[in-house]
Amino acid sequence: MIRLSLHKLKRRLLTASARVIEAALIAAIILAGGLGSSWYMVEAGSRLTTAKLGPWMTWTAAARPDADPYTRAHFVNAGTLPVSSQIQRALVARTDQSGERLHSSCEYIVEGRLPNVEWWSLAVFNEHGRLIPNEADRHAFTGQTIALAHAGNFSVTLAREARAGNWLPTGGAGRLALVLNIAENRTPDSATKLDAAQLPTIRKIKCR
Amino acid sequence: MQIRTFTDWLQTRARVLLVAVLTAAILHIVATLIAPRIAGGTPFAKLSPVAPLHKFQVLPPITPQNQPLAFMAPDVRYAMCRYNTAQGPVSVSVRLPGRGWALALYTPEGDNFYTALGQDGQQSDVSLQLTPVADRFLGLTPEARGKASEAATSLSIATGTGLIVVRAPDLGLAYRAETEATLQRATCTPHPF
Repeated sequence: MIRLSLHKLKRRLLTASARVIEAALIAAIILAGGLGSSWYMVEAGSRLTTAKLGPWMTWTAAARPDADPYTRAHFVNAGTLPVSSQIQRALVARTDQSGERLHSSCEYIVEGRLPNVEWWSLAVFNEHGRLIPNEADRHAFTGQTIALAHAGNFSVTLAREARAGNWLPTGGAGRLALVLNIAENRTPDSATKLDAAQLPTIRKIKCR
Repeated sequence: MQIRTFTDWLQTRARVLLVAVLTAAILHIVATLIAPRIAGGTPFAKLSPVAPLHKFQVLPPITPQNQPLAFMAPDVRYAMCRYNTAQGPVSVSVRLPGRGWALALYTPEGDNFYTALGQDGQQSDVSLQLTPVADRFLGLTPEARGKASEAATSLSIATGTGLIVVRAPDLGLAYRAETEATLQRATCTPHPF
């Protein structure tokens, strides 16, 4: 009699635990599928909202009145105020050419030649978009302030210690974000089609 | 045996799973749409203290100690003005002396609905009149009162408030005074009914 009751109790416990697991699974589907996917699409973007050009990434509808909800949410959450992507493209690089995270403990060379655009600037920030304090008070170069090499090519060194030429100090900022802003007067038809080959490369030289 | 059990489970719970996926989809859409509304410290809220109503304020150079927004370009000088068309149209007048200069108008949600860029070696004077889109009488236009229009372009805007930002390239100390003087000449004037 006691054995039979124990058997029933065991069966009931198994059924109850199966229901709990089932409910947890369904809750996980709802939360991960709903909130998780929304968070990912807003934070990291997808092929629908961003374009990846080598290590550079840009939100294709940034600040446009017809922007999709993911792009709108991204820039409000990030607390930034970009110029419309129809006028200016903001490209962000958080990795080097080989896909490794940019870090202030390493030294990098950013080099290339930009197509004929109205104006461009290259600035270095920490991973949260804050400027990196440094004694040289230097945070960016533009097409007007950079020292060009032959044929319009440029080369910028990201390093903690001073380097000859175009040097951007990275201090002890930890993870870095490089921002390349390119502005041009254009219509959608005359827009310069940028591809990865036209954008500067980011090459790691050495790490500490 | 296990696969068969799982298949059975899927068949018996198909309706529940379908409801779960649909709920997840609805949650995804709602979370994405309300994210900008519940985000604390939107760019508009952060800049409101430094951008006075109907008056351009030239911001000090962007430094690590003075950077109101993330990823704010350090090689750019900014002048900002908050507008509100509730009491009538607002006229904006800005000079863009050359390459790198830009005028951008934003809604509180961060939509950049108007932009003008400076041209290389060419000075541009931009005059705008911001008129709210509303089904009501907005007063007589300057032309109707027999005066010459002060604004070259009229923009009808759906939102009553927003932000006007003038960006100027910071070319260094030698040019700073000239840049600031040009930025300070920008105006943002209300015309009450």
